[in-house]
Amino acid sequence: MSSISDDIFFASIAEINQKLTKSEFSAVELARAFCDRLETIGPRYNALALSLRKGALRDAKEVDGDIKRERLRGHLQGIPFGAKDLLAYAKHPTTWGAQPYAGQVFDYTASVLKRIQKRGGLLTGKLAMVELAGGPSYRYASASLTGPGLNPWDSTRWSGGSSSGSAIAVAAGLVTYALGSETSGSILTPSAFCGVTGLRPTYGLVPRHGAMALSWTLDKIGPICRSAEDCGLVLEAIAGAEFEDPSSARKSFYYTPQFARDLKDVRVGFAPVDFNEAVDPAARADYAKALETIRSLGVNVVEAKLPEFPYGAVIGTIISAEGSAVFEEMIQSGKVDQLADQHQIAGLKAGLEISANDYLKAMRIRALIQEAFRDLLSTTDVLIAPTRFDPAPKITQPLDRRAVDRPAPATPGLAALIPAGNLAGLPALSIPCGFANGMPMGLQLVGSPFSENMLLAIGKTFQDRTDWHKRRPPLATP
Amino acid sequence: MNRFTRRELAVTLSASAVLLGSLEGQTPAPAPPVNPQVSPDDELKAARAQLRDNADQLDKVPLSMAAEPATTFRP
Repeated sequence: MSSISDDIFFASIAEINQKLTKSEFSAVELARAFCDRLETIGPRYNALALSLRKGALRDAKEVDGDIKRERLRGHLQGIPFGAKDLLAYAKHPTTWGAQPYAGQVFDYTASVLKRIQKRGGLLTGKLAMVELAGGPSYRYASASLTGPGLNPWDSTRWSGGSSSGSAIAVAAGLVTYALGSETSGSILTPSAFCGVTGLRPTYGLVPRHGAMALSWTLDKIGPICRSAEDCGLVLEAIAGAEFEDPSSARKSFYYTPQFARDLKDVRVGFAPVDFNEAVDPAARADYAKALETIRSLGVNVVEAKLPEFPYGAVIGTIISAEGSAVFEEMIQSGKVDQLADQHQIAGLKAGLEISANDYLKAMRIRALIQEAFRDLLSTTDVLIAPTRFDPAPKITQPLDRRAVDRPAPATPGLAALIPAGNLAGLPALSIPCGFANGMPMGLQLVGSPFSENMLLAIGKTFQDRTDWHKRRPPLATP
Repeated sequence: MNRFTRRELAVTLSASAVLLGSLEGQTPAPAPPVNPQVSPDDELKAARAQLRDNADQLDKVPLSMAAEPATTFRP
């Protein structure tokens, strides 16, 4: 009889690793239990792209042998995880969530997966995603080969994207953690909508080799976990120099919460309008408490505003130009018409017509944005704002139209922090901080390049004092 | 062109079968709402208009000759 209790599906990496090394259960038992759950519950939420049970059980057997011989390989050893289906896994289908690539098989494995497997991590499944990671843009949640990502908190609502399956799987306890990717919001948004913790690393910190490209100059791979601490442990495993990735910053990351800066020396910037007027009224009380909790950490909280730039136009131009260049062959061949979302099809076709002048103009403005953020973050260490201002929309809601009719706030606050932070290559952490009518809401923390340890320290201390990250969606409870 | 051994091909095909199996178990995706008034041509026109609007917004940002493209992405 299995000694895997339901709590294990929602336990932290450190907790599970400790139980494995104490032989409370074997890695094989653990992998089998997680595979059962992923294969049973995953499809209910359209979260599963491909079960990798056979390989996970084979690797788990090896882990059991290693633990028996006291060959310990760190926190991730024996921990089941999932990966967004944009990461190549040798000799297995990698669909990028898109019909034109449904039969695609690579003969190599993405660097990040190899790094985790080297540490004994158990890859139990490839997880669903929005087709082509969203391309230039998409109108409906159904823009995916596997259908719309359904939110475990309310399956009539969207999970967020494009790392939809990754966030669903973590929220529903189908994996202990997952890898996602972000070009502009694809880790932070589903993390906020599903009530989990997501980390977007600094551009270049995590190797992209073996990942689908949407925008060579914007794509990042990062962890989606239940806690900031787990994000730190996963980031440590996947970060670092990679010669096969031309954008590698050639920096390592060591998760060192014990050496985090004294929070009394940290200045946190926010815009009151974000919390008073812009965010969903049903969540304002929880956001007010979240701000109080942030203040109680001892940090200096100050008002901040974003430098003025047309962030949406800049990032839209760059993603469209680079994305259409990446997929030019598919577009020209006509296979683009096999995609599920008409809006994305049109956007990819139109993107081929962007002039070199417009692309370069966007990249020149991007340089100014990076400079402006260097100035801003020289006086304010961390910016905070609601990750998304509204909870997850209904799955039939057009995503290019605002679902709410409340008046726009008087000032923009930090509303453009997601595109701005991505353009500047900045790291960000989204942590659960409350609910709006039963749906999770997130708080994003953005810092200077390579300040992940500081963001994680604030996130961990916040989570030591709150329990939002420990809440479980009712549908996922067996 | 990738070359596979027969054994690797078998693994790939069985994995595809798993994929198809898992897709069969998925919650059926509601068909994307279709507005009959919006044809693919209209979608393309709208996408082009969006890109033009983006370009117009970029034009409003003053750029000196010293503002070089962000070609170094190591922050």
